[in-house]
Amino acid sequence: MSAATALAPALPPRRSRLGLIVALLAPIALINAIGFLAPVLNLARMSFYEVEPTGAMREVYTLATWAKMVTDSFYAELIVNSVSVSLGITLLTLVCSYPIALYLHRSTGTWKTILLVLVISPLLTSAVVRTYGWIAILSDSGLVNNSLGALGLPPQRMMFNLTGVTIGLTEILMPYMILALLAGFGRLDPRIEEAASTLGAPPFTIFRRIILPLTLPGIALGCLLCFVLAVSSFITPKLLGGGRVFLLATEIYDQAIVTLNWPLAATLSILVLVIFGGALVLYTRALRAIL
Amino acid sequence: MNLSTKLTIAALLMSGVSTQVLAQQQTVTVMAYAGLFQERYTKAVVEPFMKANPGIKVEYFPMPNSAQMLGTLRAQKAAPQADVVIMDVSVSKAATDEKLFNKIDEKVSKNVADLYPNARIPDVDGVAVTFDNLVMLYNGDTVKDAPKSWMDLAKPEYKGKVAIPGMPDIQGLSLVLIMDKARGGTDYLQNVDKGITALGEIAPNVQTWEPKPEVYPVIISGQAVIGAGWNARAQVNADTSGGKLKTVLPQEGSVFQINTINYVANGPGKDAGAKFIDYALSPEAQKAFTESMFYAPTNAKAQISEAAIARTAVKSMDKVIPVDWIALAKVRDPIMEQWRRKVIPLSR
Repeated sequence: MSAATALAPALPPRRSRLGLIVALLAPIALINAIGFLAPVLNLARMSFYEVEPTGAMREVYTLATWAKMVTDSFYAELIVNSVSVSLGITLLTLVCSYPIALYLHRSTGTWKTILLVLVISPLLTSAVVRTYGWIAILSDSGLVNNSLGALGLPPQRMMFNLTGVTIGLTEILMPYMILALLAGFGRLDPRIEEAASTLGAPPFTIFRRIILPLTLPGIALGCLLCFVLAVSSFITPKLLGGGRVFLLATEIYDQAIVTLNWPLAATLSILVLVIFGGALVLYTRALRAIL
Repeated sequence: MNLSTKLTIAALLMSGVSTQVLAQQQTVTVMAYAGLFQERYTKAVVEPFMKANPGIKVEYFPMPNSAQMLGTLRAQKAAPQADVVIMDVSVSKAATDEKLFNKIDEKVSKNVADLYPNARIPDVDGVAVTFDNLVMLYNGDTVKDAPKSWMDLAKPEYKGKVAIPGMPDIQGLSLVLIMDKARGGTDYLQNVDKGITALGEIAPNVQTWEPKPEVYPVIISGQAVIGAGWNARAQVNADTSGGKLKTVLPQEGSVFQINTINYVANGPGKDAGAKFIDYALSPEAQKAFTESMFYAPTNAKAQISEAAIARTAVKSMDKVIPVDWIALAKVRDPIMEQWRRKVIPLSR
C-alpha cells in the first residue's frame, strides 16, 4: 500500500466533507429551528393579530398594533429609556468588573481558582433570590440606611426607583462581565508591560497605551453580553423598580400577563430582537476595528 | 364446589366489580389560582365534592394568574386538558369571545337560578363564584389610629410608607374608580380625571407600586405600613400574622372583584365538569369557602356564619360601587395613559 492511499481517509474529497459539515450542523440547526425560529416567527405573526379591548385575540391580520407603536410617543420613550438605562448599567458593570478581571487574570495557582469560584458562585443563586437580598440591603431600614443613620446622615431612597434597578442589575451582571473579560484577555502578556516599564512608562501610560488596547476584544464581548442581558431582564426591574421604572421587558410582561394584549407584547418582543440585532452589528463592527 | 373454586369465583366477581368501578371513575380537571386559594379551596370545596361523588376524582391544576390560564386554554384549544376554570371576570370575557367555554345556565346547574343578579354577567359564559373587594390594609403595630378614609394614605406621616399594587393591576384601577366617585365623578366610562387627581395626591407617599411577592407580607413586615389589597387574602393574612395586619373598609367605599367559574368547551371530563360546577355554586360549597377564606358568596341561599359574613363586604353593600368590568376594559388604555403621565411622575 502506498503512503498516498493510506492518507486518503484522513483527507476526504471536498463533497463528502461538505456532507460531514451538514450532518454535524443539522442537529443544532434543527433544535434552533424548533426552539427558536418557529416561536419567533409565531410571535411575528401574532404581532399582526387583531385584539379586542377585553384581550380577546382574533386571527385577523391588522397593522393596528404596529401603528399604535409608531404613533404613541410612550413607546418611543420606552425604547430610548430601555436602551439608555441598559447602556448605563453595562458601563457601570464594566467599570466595576474590569479591575477584578485584570487582577484575576494576573493571579496564579490555587488563589486564582479560589477567586474564580468566588466570581462564579453568585450565578449558582437565582436572580430572584439575589434581588430580594438587595431589597434587604437597600430598604429604608436596611443595612445601608441603618449605617447612614448611625453616622448621623439622612436616609436615602435607594430602591423602588432607577437607583435600585441599576445597583441590582449591575451586581447581577458582574459575573457575566468578568467571565467575558477574562475570555478576551488572551492577548495580554505581562512581558509587554514589563518592557514598557523598563523603557520608563509610568503605570497610567502602560494602562492607556498597552493594557486597554489589548483588552478591547474582551470589553466588546462583555458589553455586548451585558447589554443584551440588561435589556431583556425583567425580574430585577420588577422587584426593585417599584412600578416607577418603565422598561421594554417589564412592559412586555405587563402586556402579556396583566393587560392581556398579546399582539402588543409580541410587537414589543420583536422590537427587542431588532435592538439585539443592532447591538450585534455594532459589536462585529467594533471587533473588526479593534483587530 | 370446594373452597378454592368458591374463592376463585369470588375473586373473579370482585375483579369484575372493580373494573366496573374503574370504568365509572371520572376525572375533572379544575384550573384555578395557586397558593392560598388552592390550599383553602381544596379543603373547603374539592375534598367535600369528592367525598360526595366517589366516582369523580378532581385534579386541581394551579396557575399563578388568570392571564396564564387563558394562555393555557388558547394553547390547548384543539384538545383541552381542563374542564373547569376559575378566573377573573375580564379574562373570562376574553375567553368567552374566543369561544373557549360552554355557557353556564340553569341547564348546567340549577344553582344558577339562586345566584345574586350581579353574579350573572351579560355576554360572559361563566358565572361568578366569588366576590372580593378592595380594602385598606395597615400594620397594627405602627399605625395606632385606625384610618377611615382612602385619603389617609396621603397623610404626611405615611411618607414613603404606602404600598399600592398600581396599574395595570386592577387594584390600582379600582382605587382610581373609588376616588373618582368620592370626588363627584359621575361616569367612569367618560372620564376619571377626579380619581387620577386624588391618586396624584397619594402618589408622593408611595414607596412601591409593585409590592412583591404580595402587598400583605410587605405591610406585615413593616417595610410599608399602609396600603391597599384584596379583602379575602387580607383576612387570611390578618389571622396568620396574629393580628398584625389590620383591614378597614374606608368611608369612600370599595369595588368588587369577581372570580367566575367557567365550563371549558370539549373538556376531557365531559359532564363531570358540570357536576363540579353545580357543587361549587351550591349553598354548602359557597358557605364552606366563605367561612374558610372570606370571599363573599355569590349564591343568595348560602347560610353563612355571622362571624364570617362580618369579614366580607356583604353587610356594607351600600359602600360597594358597582363597576362594569367588561365595559371598563374599553377605556382601560386611556386610564393607563393618565396613570403613567399624571400619577407615577408625582411619586418619583
